[in-house]
Amino acid sequence: MITVTNAHKQYGTFTALDDVSLDIPRGSLTALLGPSGSGKSTLLRSIAGLETLDAGVVTIEGEDVTNVPPQRRGIGFVFQHYAAFKHMTVRDNVAFGLSIRKRPKPVIDKRVDELLEIVGLSGFRDRYPAQLSGGQRQRMALARALAVDPQVLLLDEPFGALDAKVRTDLRTWLRRLHDEVHVTTVLVTHDQEEALDVADRIAVLNQGRIEQVGDPVTLYDRPANDFVMSFLGSVSRLGDQVVRPHDIALDRDRQHALALDAAVPASAGVIGAVVERVVRLGFEVRVDLRAESGERFAAQITRRDANDLRLAAGETVFARVDQPSSIVERMAIAGV
Amino acid sequence: MNVTQQTRVGLRTVALGYLFVLLALPIGVILYRTFEPGLSEFFASISTPAAISALNLSLLIVAIVVPLNVVFGVVTALALVRGRFRGRGLLQAVVDLPFAVSPIVVGVALIMLWGAGGWFGALDRSGFTVIFGLPGMVIATIFVTLPFVVREVEPVLHEIGTDQEQAASTLGATGWQTFWRITLPAIRWGLTYGVVLTVARALGEFGAVIMVSSGFAGVSQTLTLLVHARYIDDHNTYGAYAAATLLMGIALVVLLLMTVLDRKRSNR
Repeated sequence: MITVTNAHKQYGTFTALDDVSLDIPRGSLTALLGPSGSGKSTLLRSIAGLETLDAGVVTIEGEDVTNVPPQRRGIGFVFQHYAAFKHMTVRDNVAFGLSIRKRPKPVIDKRVDELLEIVGLSGFRDRYPAQLSGGQRQRMALARALAVDPQVLLLDEPFGALDAKVRTDLRTWLRRLHDEVHVTTVLVTHDQEEALDVADRIAVLNQGRIEQVGDPVTLYDRPANDFVMSFLGSVSRLGDQVVRPHDIALDRDRQHALALDAAVPASAGVIGAVVERVVRLGFEVRVDLRAESGERFAAQITRRDANDLRLAAGETVFARVDQPSSIVERMAIAGV
Repeated sequence: MNVTQQTRVGLRTVALGYLFVLLALPIGVILYRTFEPGLSEFFASISTPAAISALNLSLLIVAIVVPLNVVFGVVTALALVRGRFRGRGLLQAVVDLPFAVSPIVVGVALIMLWGAGGWFGALDRSGFTVIFGLPGMVIATIFVTLPFVVREVEPVLHEIGTDQEQAASTLGATGWQTFWRITLPAIRWGLTYGVVLTVARALGEFGAVIMVSSGFAGVSQTLTLLVHARYIDDHNTYGAYAAATLLMGIALVVLLLMTVLDRKRSNR
């Protein structure tokens, strides 16, 4: 369990954290999601003790660690660029925390072997970091962080420096690891897909503030405001509503569309639009549209619907919101 | 760039000829003159009491200067790279000062400061000889060798950044443990190179040291001063050659040591 209360951090005139409060439940995998400069890394580094807060309190497992140095916070930290100890072998890297704690050599060796097994680097014990790939280095860094049995595991954009394929593999692997090890984990990322994929809780940050905290489904379907909505996926503006493109239904018959729309509460109504382009993206088909008001938006429909409609550029269709669940609540919009 | 065979051979000849005339030839002449009368003559010349004392003094100065430069060089480099303090720019400039100031000027300045009539002259008058004694020569050598360790370690510190040190601290290492286990091994090669340059310069320094040394054979003569004294004062040309060869020999050993260490690094 980690709690951050009223955290504030200023760099010159730039406010990195603006009165941030956040609870991270024990055993959860929480993602801090936000664009660059949103304060997510500062928040993570403040939990680690690598940054000192101007104001606010951080507690880990009930203990106030606000003024405790990183050495004594019981954390494991993984850096974006691995921070591998280049002059040490993989074994010595992983053993570092234990040798600092002066554990006997047989104990260290046993633990190192165990961890290298878990991260799949058993055969790389005597290699140097320079002889490993990026993904392997990051798994070594994870083993190193886990070696000291940290109370919390903090990961600062751990897959940011890896290429797309390795990134998705490691992501899945991290999720499985977390299910086995159950250590409270906080992951910083700017990649919404990554957050939705691995985390069981997501905190969305923007300009040093937390916009919303919740499980992935809640955040995606019931975003608290425009920012959260647009950060967690693509959006289309339909009249005065912001909706997901896949929640827009298209109809060739205006009367039919109106009839179906009447069943949807708080709907934006039916909007006539001209098809500008039809893009087939495998299973999904994206339809670029221009509303009568001149506003452009996109709808995402299935391949089957697209085939049934037989859409072509220049034709007129009628768009309506099919699933109001993902509509940002009006009040929230008014508040933004 | 397309170069004809002829131009290429021509360019190589010019470059090699330049190196030969300016570097190889003078050294070759000294070596030839040294060993012309035979090895026993050479050993006799470098084992006179004055020569042995000069060798010892030179090595003693190196032994004092190198540790001091290592400690202060590393601390200064850390301050320049990691520190955010007022006057950092000034410190940068000051570190380079010995490169800009002629060694003879350094000698004169030290006399003004530490000599009997200087600002710190009270020390001299109380009986502790700085100028014309070992302390003076050490201070002069430190002055001229100060930038080497700093300037070799600084870029390495820039390159390694602070990630590894932060990682060490999250793993429980204290500041000292991090320095000994992470920072020092990471800058080891820059430091080695800085030490080699310091040794070479400390052995070879002449201008600053001759100003602050009394130059008595067997007492306050370093190897370089011995070469000078034998050649100019004693008209012992052969002795000068022999001492110069000894000086080169030591420098060569240091250089070889560095190359061996360097090879070890690239093998990793």
